Amino acid sequence: MDRRFLAELERIVGADGVVRDDGELLTYETDGLVKLRSRPGAAVLPASADQVQRVVRLCHDNHVPFVARGQGTGLSGGALPHPDGVLIVMTRMNRILDVDLPNRRITVEPGVMNLDVSKAVAAAGYYYAPDPSSQVICSIGGNLAENSGGAHCLKYGFTVHHVLGVEAVLPDGELLRLGGPALDPPGLDLLGVLVGSEGTLAVVTKVVLNLLRKPAAVETLLAAFDSTEAAGNAVSGIIGAGIIPAAVEMMDRVTIEAAEAAVHPDFPRTEAILIVELDGAEADVSALFTRVEEVCREAAASEIRIARTAAQRARFWQGRKAAFAAMGRVSPSYYVQDGVIPRTRLPEVLGRIRGLSDRSGLKIGNVFHAGDGNLHPLVCYDERVAGQADLAQEVASEILTYCLDAGGSITGEHGVGADKAEHLPKMFSEDDLDTMQLVRCAFDPGYICNPGKVFPTPRLCGEVPGPYRRHPAEAAGLAERV
Amino acid sequence: MASAPAGTLVERLAARAGPGALVRAGEDEDAVDGVRPRLLAAPASGEALAAALAWAASEGLSVRVSGGGTKQDWGAPGAAVDLLLSTAALSAVVEHRHGDLTATVEAGATLAAVNAALGAHGQRLPWDPPWPERATIGGVVATNDSGSLRHGHGAPRDSIIGVTMARGDGRVAKAGGIVVKNVAGYDLARLLTGSFGCLGVILTATFKLAPAPPASRTVEIGVDSLEAAAPIAADLAGSPLTPAALEVASAPDRLLIRFESVEASVVQQAEAARAIAAGRGSAAVLGGEDERAAWDRHAAHWSPGATLVKLSTVPAELFPTLVWLRDRAAADGLRAAAAGRAGLGVVDVRLAGPAAAQARLVRALRDRLPPGRGSAVLRRGAPELRREVDAWGPIGDGMRVMTAIKRQFDPAGLLNAGRGPGGL
Repeated sequence: MDRRFLAELERIVGADGVVRDDGELLTYETDGLVKLRSRPGAAVLPASADQVQRVVRLCHDNHVPFVARGQGTGLSGGALPHPDGVLIVMTRMNRILDVDLPNRRITVEPGVMNLDVSKAVAAAGYYYAPDPSSQVICSIGGNLAENSGGAHCLKYGFTVHHVLGVEAVLPDGELLRLGGPALDPPGLDLLGVLVGSEGTLAVVTKVVLNLLRKPAAVETLLAAFDSTEAAGNAVSGIIGAGIIPAAVEMMDRVTIEAAEAAVHPDFPRTEAILIVELDGAEADVSALFTRVEEVCREAAASEIRIARTAAQRARFWQGRKAAFAAMGRVSPSYYVQDGVIPRTRLPEVLGRIRGLSDRSGLKIGNVFHAGDGNLHPLVCYDERVAGQADLAQEVASEILTYCLDAGGSITGEHGVGADKAEHLPKMFSEDDLDTMQLVRCAFDPGYICNPGKVFPTPRLCGEVPGPYRRHPAEAAGLAERV
Repeated sequence: MASAPAGTLVERLAARAGPGALVRAGEDEDAVDGVRPRLLAAPASGEALAAALAWAASEGLSVRVSGGGTKQDWGAPGAAVDLLLSTAALSAVVEHRHGDLTATVEAGATLAAVNAALGAHGQRLPWDPPWPERATIGGVVATNDSGSLRHGHGAPRDSIIGVTMARGDGRVAKAGGIVVKNVAGYDLARLLTGSFGCLGVILTATFKLAPAPPASRTVEIGVDSLEAAAPIAADLAGSPLTPAALEVASAPDRLLIRFESVEASVVQQAEAARAIAAGRGSAAVLGGEDERAAWDRHAAHWSPGATLVKLSTVPAELFPTLVWLRDRAAADGLRAAAAGRAGLGVVDVRLAGPAAAQARLVRALRDRLPPGRGSAVLRRGAPELRREVDAWGPIGDGMRVMTAIKRQFDPAGLLNAGRGPGGL
């Protein structure tokens, strides 16, 4: 990278804010999707929105691409650096700026860890609802970029439902402030499209989040089944009974064994388990929990365990949340897929995945958010065996076609990133993608903000043809176009 | 604007608007704010509607979109318009996937009709904006309008999971999908929600649904003043209760808190709410016909005939703001009443009185509300009021990007021009 440009970066963020050491840069070559690697031209660690603005403006003025990165836990290569660009590492911006309990709001910098938001308000009886499995180590900025969900998003929604305002730096270095602690800021819902845009529209520097009151009652059960089909039927039965649990999670034999090996949650050794959690007012939870138990029994559950204490509940969740990492105990390598299907298609799609496993000879574990049809097949392979890594990749891609055949999506929470951009046209037409990229052109006409992610082919933005009609209100000075 | 006479335009439009379309010259009954469109078309399919849009773009005709027509007088006052494009003939529930708790519906279906259809499987769109018999899905989504159930279920923005739209140039595009969890591609469904039709015409939308609750109770709490209502509302909002609605209404001042769940829960929670209010107001637990009547009385706030200003503040500032508003309105000879979401800080203020005084009040209200901490948006109002005061108020530095988006989606500025947020 140009020496003068590097010197400029250093002037902005200080000598200790520019990563030069080869060993240190290695850390930033990849995010949670380790198969994709790229060394950034430079990595900087700004400590303030002002520094982010100046870095971005420098990039803009020199037509240098940039990529924002949080904790690097993303699983789709969304934070994969650009080899000729600047990686903007947001970890130093990790302050909680304001806790406003009367309004149930918290304002944080993007580098604050997800779980630390809840910890900051736990004593007062509040929490932040989105709870991705990586919540101990993933930051709010990344959550916002990916529109992260988590086990409890079935009832409480995703990041987009809980972000009320942001301050962000646009790709030309200008500051964009959207929303705030009050609902319904007038204007287009830019926040709705910024959340989940995978870092391709702006770099977020401040976030206002909504807090929820901790529910009065929580009940959790674990039910064992002889087949994933039976467990799937129980899920349909619960939803069919008009119950929206806080969470419904399923694990199959492969992932149960992996979790057992890693964190010993003492799960039943069976073909499938469901973890069902209800929360809310006491009266609701006690009435509906009985009904959930009945449904599980009707669906031929071989065993039902009810968490009697908070410690037991934590143990259930520890087993579930450890499932990804635990796969290392049963397979040298594994690829985590993320696809979504309408939940009624679970038995059919799981059947197809089983067939694929048999045909390919690769073990596939399943752990997923069953309530919302979000599958996480874990394709096991051994990279020391020639061709297996490629085979695993093919198998994982094949699973996405099953999701699309069932009317689903190629990603429920991990994002498209660099990993799945080539799959996006399987889900959306040329016109669909063209229309989405109109938004990109409005935010980033120079195509320097995390380029190459999400969309397989960039749209040329160019100048908009034709005259723009001034509206009479605008001509009268009532509405201003900047 | 094309110079061809309307007669030939009607014929050319009819050739593009597809079989079964209603196509005619604009009439007085189509007028909004006294402005009559030259043409009206109600295509019978989404493809035909898109074709009509493509034709209008090629002719350089300005287009205004209408569903049930319940909110045509919202926002900036109407400019001259060439083509009034109605979604009224697109009224099908395309698919109700009841096992998945999702449904795809056409934009012109009324909320009441959709919920009647979803009710066959014990499900619903948990929304109760004004005028459900006439308000269409497309209109409710395009304005992100909501009612009391927003407290427990969110606004349309929170339920939408997919959209099909026709762009101003007639190209049809979709975003999202039919699954409740999905992060593939940009979220155009949310971008269109609340866009007032200025970026494209919604053809179909897909939503996650809610189970219809088996039981409901409402506690109506009468109080002497808004000042007396404030601490009760704060205690209710801060309690572990899980109401579907928590409303404030003024003149007469009262709170309404509604519980929807299984019978045992609504009885128990209503009793708990009543106990919270006890001694500070008259609290009655209502069910059945009494409950319906209470909500009908509440809905009268949105009946025709007066200005509606949507006021949003941070929750803790709502009651102080309402008290200020009440006193200020009285001092300026205005009749003012407020009703809306006490727990969320979003209410509609109903105003009657001289337009100049109303405009002063709206401006003074905006002066009280720093960016991000509140807003006052003129929804419905007499044209002279809407000419006097900008309908939207300050948008902030997002306006630059919003304008760029409008230019990308509608380069010629033909689609619902001036009707979008901020006058887009």
